[in-house]
Amino acid sequence: MTSTQGLAERPVRPSEPVMSLRGITKRFGAVQALSGVDFDINAGEVVALVGDNGAGKSTFVKILSGVYTPDEGTITYDGERVTIPSPAAAQELGISSVFQDLALADNLDVVANLFLGREIGRFALDEEEMERRSWELLGQLSARIPSVRIPIASLSGGQRQTVAIARSLIGDPKVVILDEPTAALGVAQTAEVLNLVERLRERGLGVVLISHNLADVQAVADRVAVLRLGRNNGTFRMKDVTYEQIIAAITGATDNAVTRRASSRGAKEQSDGK
Amino acid sequence: MCLVSERRRTPGNQASLREANRTRILDAVKLHGALTQVELAGATGLSPATVSNIVKELSTSGVLHTAPSTRSGRRAQRVTLAHGLGLVAGVDVSHRHMRVSLADFAATIVADHRVPLARDHRADNELDKATMLIVDMVESLDSSLDELAGIGVVVAAPVDERTGRVARRGIMRGWQDVDIAATMRERLGRPVVVENSANAAALAELRYGAARGKRDVLVLEIGDGVGAGIIADGRLVRGHRGVAGEFGHVPLVPDGPPCRCGRIGCLEAVAGARAVLDGLDGVTGTLTLTDLIVGAMAGNAEYLRAIADAGRTIGRATGALCTLLDPERIVVGGDFARAGELLLGPMRHALESTVLVEADGTPDLVQSQLDGSAAVLGAVGLAVDEAGIPRSTPSA
Repeated sequence: MTSTQGLAERPVRPSEPVMSLRGITKRFGAVQALSGVDFDINAGEVVALVGDNGAGKSTFVKILSGVYTPDEGTITYDGERVTIPSPAAAQELGISSVFQDLALADNLDVVANLFLGREIGRFALDEEEMERRSWELLGQLSARIPSVRIPIASLSGGQRQTVAIARSLIGDPKVVILDEPTAALGVAQTAEVLNLVERLRERGLGVVLISHNLADVQAVADRVAVLRLGRNNGTFRMKDVTYEQIIAAITGATDNAVTRRASSRGAKEQSDGK
Repeated sequence: MCLVSERRRTPGNQASLREANRTRILDAVKLHGALTQVELAGATGLSPATVSNIVKELSTSGVLHTAPSTRSGRRAQRVTLAHGLGLVAGVDVSHRHMRVSLADFAATIVADHRVPLARDHRADNELDKATMLIVDMVESLDSSLDELAGIGVVVAAPVDERTGRVARRGIMRGWQDVDIAATMRERLGRPVVVENSANAAALAELRYGAARGKRDVLVLEIGDGVGAGIIADGRLVRGHRGVAGEFGHVPLVPDGPPCRCGRIGCLEAVAGARAVLDGLDGVTGTLTLTDLIVGAMAGNAEYLRAIADAGRTIGRATGALCTLLDPERIVVGGDFARAGELLLGPMRHALESTVLVEADGTPDLVQSQLDGSAAVLGAVGLAVDEAGIPRSTPSA
């Protein structure tokens, strides 16, 4: 496959992050779910968001996708300060999410699912056009879907994930959020989904990947942001971090007075050296 | 995508139209592994009648295999690629990807999977993954493991032929001291052969690719690392320990950048794809090879220069190799070779100025024709050799 061919019209990578969150704080009554979380998403980059259960990943993703609004903190999207009051507003901005349950209609076929709520055609549905566009989109993702006219119920887990991801691309978003895309998939389907993530990055999208599977995270992510107890516990570039370091950041093994002093000294030396 | 529209362009006459339709059907079956005829019609955009005719024609000539099955409760014809004699598996493990392919004895790939891997991946995890993928793929072809005649595993590190292990520590850290062949044999119970991926690519080029019919060839695999497969007098040169052709670890620049092999200034630490990308994009570290190549093709001067510099460096080093080995042809493959003449042009220039022959005797430098599949095809070829073609069949 000439994989470079279809990408020629891809936008040039901007140096500014496409989306930037600062000091995000969220409380549920007495529960402090997030406190002062910073997060950047660049175009053409896969950022993994990892953390233990209850670290605040889901809350954070819901803020990104407009389900919750933060109590404090600012969100900058495409260089402008924005608020995301609702999921529809997130869609409007160009932030698209694929949640773990995929929210596909099992009884409808692939085309109907892809265009659910965004059907083409003024009075009657333009099925031909929708089918054509479905194939085009799935082709761009090199997806292995045998037919777009079979109900979702007869697809494998990986194929459903593919359809859900393809659907998230319909509105031409800049940021795609994938919540546990490889959970409960077999090895071949996991490979499919990971390839798909790479293809999203090649299209110049900012991808936020939430996953418990560190092998998958390490395979496709460029950066990994660790949340622990509702706070940032380090953002690492994948190229200079080991598996053990990520685990340490997730579990908090790094989070004590000695390591904190060491890391602040290290950071200072690094900034002096550069 | 322009790929699609190009395929849809109406060809000139009836015969070429039919040919194009055949290709389209074969491509679809290759991509999906197994499809019913109705699904084939959807996937290719051809009418069910055309699909039915072509499938009939191709299964009579032994290319496709059809079996009755059901789809949504109705009877249907399930179409797979025929694999008459048996199957072999090829596994190509590179730095960031693993590719697992099933092929027939003629090295026609019938099923294919590509998996992104973590940096510093580990042998046990990835061999597990490869095993599961092979089992999965064999099943998807309506076949069974008994039909799998052999498995070829190629890795992007030198392999000691005597021990079947990675021969040099530090190059693929997660794989050292692992008996790859024994591990795979234990899991699948089939014969396994292990080889260095550049050597495998050289074998593939010699048998199926741009080096066919040549006796002295140099095959370069340029990606994150730089590997060479040396064919001398029609045979692969492995060296005493299997380290022959570790071209990327030829020390080139004194006091140069550190290399993952533990020394400094190696060719791949200067001109490998990773080194080029790091040099361009030290801050965010998200520039990918595809970005680089696409950017350069769109005319980004900085990218063009970076690729040309790498080409010149590799070309000069290749010149030294040519003086030693005097090959007839040099075949360049690997991910970085997708840059085509942007990389090969400067290589050729540098080569011409360093090689010690008459001006018209410079070996020709060509791009691989195997489209990134050289290493995995080499693995397939080795697996076929290991299995031995069954003697009972008259064609063998």
